[in-house]
Amino acid sequence: MTSNTAGYFASFIMLMWVAVQGCPEYAIADDSGAGGKNSSLPALAFGQSVDGISDEDLPYVYTQWENYTVEDGLPNDHLFCVKATPDVIWIGSENGLARLDKKSGKIQSWNEEDGLPWRAITSIDVDPKTGDVWLGLFGGGLARFSGGRFEHFHQLNSGLVNDVVYGVAVENNHIWCATTAGASRYDVITGKWDIYTEKNAPMEEIWNYNVTYAPSVNKVFLAVWGSGCLEFDVATEKWKDYIDPDKEMEIDLYRDDGIIHVITTAASFADGALWVSAYFGCCRYDGRHWRGFYAHETGLPSDFTNFLKARSANEAWFCTDKGAGVVADYATDTYVAYYRNSDNSGGVAKIYRQGRLLREVPLEVSIAHNFMIGVDFDGDDVWLATAHGLSHGIGKGYYPGVKRAPQQPQTVAAASSTSADSK
Amino acid sequence: MRFIKVAFWTFAVSVGLIAFEKLVQGDEPAPAPQSGTSDFAVPVEPSMKSVVDAIRAINDPYHVPKLPLRIDQNYGHTPRDLEPFGYVPPFKRHFMIQMEYTGPGRAIPEPEHVDSVKIGFLGPIEPTVSVATGGRSHEENLGQMMLRGAQLAVEVANEQGGYRPRGIPFELVVHNDNGLWGSSGNEIINLAYKDQVWAILGTIDGANSHIAIRVALKAEIPMINTGDTDPTFIETNIPWVFRMITDDRRQCYLLVDYIYRKVGIHKLGIIRASNRYGRFGVRELRDGSRRLGKPVPLEMAYFVGQADFSLELQRLKDAGVEAIMHWGDAADGARILNQMRAMGMAQPFFACDRCLGPEFTEIAGSNAEGVVCASPWNPQRDDPCMKEFRERFMKRFEVEPDTYAAHAYDGVQMLLWAIQVAGLNRAKIRDVLAYRTEPWQGVVGTIRLTAALDGREEVFLAIREGGRWQYYTRKDLNIPSGPIEKYSDHLKQIPGNLTQIQQP
Repeated sequence: MTSNTAGYFASFIMLMWVAVQGCPEYAIADDSGAGGKNSSLPALAFGQSVDGISDEDLPYVYTQWENYTVEDGLPNDHLFCVKATPDVIWIGSENGLARLDKKSGKIQSWNEEDGLPWRAITSIDVDPKTGDVWLGLFGGGLARFSGGRFEHFHQLNSGLVNDVVYGVAVENNHIWCATTAGASRYDVITGKWDIYTEKNAPMEEIWNYNVTYAPSVNKVFLAVWGSGCLEFDVATEKWKDYIDPDKEMEIDLYRDDGIIHVITTAASFADGALWVSAYFGCCRYDGRHWRGFYAHETGLPSDFTNFLKARSANEAWFCTDKGAGVVADYATDTYVAYYRNSDNSGGVAKIYRQGRLLREVPLEVSIAHNFMIGVDFDGDDVWLATAHGLSHGIGKGYYPGVKRAPQQPQTVAAASSTSADSK
Repeated sequence: MRFIKVAFWTFAVSVGLIAFEKLVQGDEPAPAPQSGTSDFAVPVEPSMKSVVDAIRAINDPYHVPKLPLRIDQNYGHTPRDLEPFGYVPPFKRHFMIQMEYTGPGRAIPEPEHVDSVKIGFLGPIEPTVSVATGGRSHEENLGQMMLRGAQLAVEVANEQGGYRPRGIPFELVVHNDNGLWGSSGNEIINLAYKDQVWAILGTIDGANSHIAIRVALKAEIPMINTGDTDPTFIETNIPWVFRMITDDRRQCYLLVDYIYRKVGIHKLGIIRASNRYGRFGVRELRDGSRRLGKPVPLEMAYFVGQADFSLELQRLKDAGVEAIMHWGDAADGARILNQMRAMGMAQPFFACDRCLGPEFTEIAGSNAEGVVCASPWNPQRDDPCMKEFRERFMKRFEVEPDTYAAHAYDGVQMLLWAIQVAGLNRAKIRDVLAYRTEPWQGVVGTIRLTAALDGREEVFLAIREGGRWQYYTRKDLNIPSGPIEKYSDHLKQIPGNLTQIQQP
C-alpha cells in the first residue's frame, strides 16, 4: 500500500466517522439509544450522554407551589402571560392587567374602566432602562404603562401593522411586536416605526406569533406561524430563517434534522442555545445540532406547546395543554413533568430520563391548572400563567442539572419502566 | 412481564381501533338525528347520548371528558406512492389522533339573560382591496352565497323554535372579511369579545382563514369552516377548528390519478392565480406529479383579474405540455381557456372546483365543452334533503345554491344542533362537535370528520358534456389509485391517552 493510498483510506475512514457522528438520519435509524445500552430507549442527540449517570442522579423538583386566582385579586383566571421583575410580577389576563407585589403579596389590577386600552393582554415586557411596562393587546394593539397611565398604540395612530398582538419584546431602545400580519418595531427615542413582512423579511407567511430579545447576542427571535423561527441580528439588520427541512405539514421526517414544524409558537435563547416551541412538540439548536422533543419519547406532558422559556442551554420550561414540561438537564436527557389533580389542588411531579420514569414526587399543592400558557423565571423561582390561575414555584435549594441522591422530598420510585403508562 | 404488558396494550389498542373503525369509518352513515328523548331539546342519536351526558356533566375547570378520540390510519386518504419522501417512514405523523381541549372553559356557566343566541359569520361579502388575496377583492360572489346558506339555516332553526331549551331565537352576526392587513383577526376578536357569539362560521380565503383560527384558538371559540379548501388550513393542530368541506388535497389526488393513471398524460402544465388559493391549491398536484415520475415542466402564476394571458400561455405552449391545469377563479379560468383555444392550443383543460361556477361557462361558452373540474361534492345527486334545500333556497333568494351555499347551510345546521345539545358554553359546543359519534347527513351528502376534524368525503370529477356538468365518482370512471396504507405506528406516540381511545 502506498502512502497516498493509505492516506486516502484514512481520510475515507475519517470522513465516514464524521458523517456518522453528525448525520441525524443515522441517529434516528440507530435505535440503540442511550449509548446502545437499551434498544427500547430513544436516541440521544449530540451533546447528550448518560454514561456514568445512574437513576440516583436527579434534577431539582419544585415541590412548593403557591397559586393565585380571582379570589386573591386577579382580574380574571384565564391568564395569557406573566413577567417577573425584581420587585413585582406582572400578569396579563383575558380581562385585565395585574401586578403582584412580591413583598406584600398584594395584587393590584386594571381593566378597561381604569384606562387599560383593551381587556386581553397576551404579552408583557418591561424596559430595564425606564421601567416602562409594554403590553401586547390581543386585538387592541400595544400599550405602554408608565407613570400610572396607559398610552395606546394601534393600527390607526401608529406604525403598528396589526392590532392582534401576540408578543412584545424590548430590544435596546426598540419595542418589537409580533402581530398577526407581520412584525413592528418602534423606536422609543425617535418615534420611528418599522414594519417587517414578506416584503423585507424571510416570512413565507406573515403570521407572527411571538418575539423575544437575546441581549447576549443582540438578536431578536420571532416565532412565526408558517415561517418557523426568524433570527434578526440587531447590529447588521440581517435576517436568518430556521424552517422545517422536510417542508411537509403532516409529518416530521427526522427528529433532529431542524425545526420540527413550520408552525411555531415561541422562541427563547439562552447561553448559546435556541429553543423553539410548536403545537407539534419542541426543539433546541446549539448552533450546529438540532434536537427535537416529543412527548412520547421524553415524558413531557404533551406536544401541544403554547409557549416556552429557556433558563439556560441546559434547561427550558414548556407550557403545554396537559401540564408543565421541563427539560431539566439536557445533557442527560432528563425531564420533569408537573401535573395537577382534577379533584384537588394536589398533583405530582414525574422525573424521566430518556422517556423512562425514574421518580414520582407527590405534591400537596401543585400548579394552578394543567393548561399552561406562560412562564417566567425569577431567580430560583418560577412563575406560571395558566388558563385558570397563576402559579409560583418556590425554588428553595434549586440547583441546575442533576445531583447524585439529592435531598428531595419524599419520592415514589417508579413502578413502571416506561413513560407510556404512567401519565 | 414486559411481554404481558405489550400484549395487553396491543389488545387494548386493537379493540380501540376496531371500535373506532366502526365509529369513524362506518360505511353506513346515520341520517340526521331522528330519535329524541325528553333530556334533549333536539333529536340525538342513541350512540351520542352518553357522550353528551359526559360533556354536560363537567362543570369545573379541571376535568376533561374521558371520551374516545378519533384515530385515523392514513392522513388525507393519501395513496402510498403519493406520500412525501417515498418509502421513508417519518419519525412522527401528525393529525392522526384527535386533538383534545384540556382548558377550563367547560366551567363557564350559561348566562342567565340572553336575548338571542348569536352565531358569528365572517366572509367576503363586500368588495374591497385585499393584500392577502393579491390585489382587489374577488371572492364576494362566493361569500354572498355562503352567507345565504348560513342565513337559511338560521331561519329554518328559528322556525323550529330557535334555541329550544330556552325558546330564544338564533341570530347571525355578520362581519365582512375584507382581507386587508390581517383584518380577519380583528373581526374574530370583535365577534368573540364584543359581539359575544357562541361560535363562528368562516371564511373562504386561505390566508384570512389561517389568521382567523389563530385568534379563535386563543379566544377559545369554535370555528366552523365550509369554504376554504386550502389543505394547510386544518394542518395546524387547533382543537377549536372544524372544516366541513373536502379539501384541495383530496381533489388533487383524484385529478392526479385521472390525469396520469387513467388518461395517461405525461406532461402537465399549470397556470394558477398568484395568491394563496392558487399557490396551495396546486401543491399536492405538483408534488403528486413528481412522485409519480411526471414532474410538472412549467407552472405559471398570474394576477387575479388579469386580461391578457398570452405570455403565460405561450410559455406553456413552448414547453410542449400535453394538458393544462388551471387553479384560480372562474372568470380568470374561462378567459385563459378562451385565449388558449384562440392560440390554437387544443390541450385538455383541467380546473379546480371554483370553475364550476356559472361565470366560467358564461364566459367560456362552447370552449367549456370537455373541461374537467374537481368538485368536493355532487350537487346533482338524487336526494330528498338536497331537493328540499334547493327549493327552499331558490324560493328565499331566487338563485340556484352553489357549493358555498350548500356547505354553509350544512355547517350552520350542524353547529346549531351542537348548541341545542351542549347549551351555551363554547367549550361544550366544541366538544359535542368533536366527539360526534355518527356522520352528519347534510344536503351535500354525508359529512364525516377525520381525526383532524376535517371533512373527508369522496370527491368528484365534473365533466362538461353536452352543455352541462356531469358528475362522476372515481368508481364511475374506473380511475385507478395507488394503494392506501393503514398505519398504526403513530399509536405508540400517544401512550398517555391509550385509555381514551377505547369505546366506553
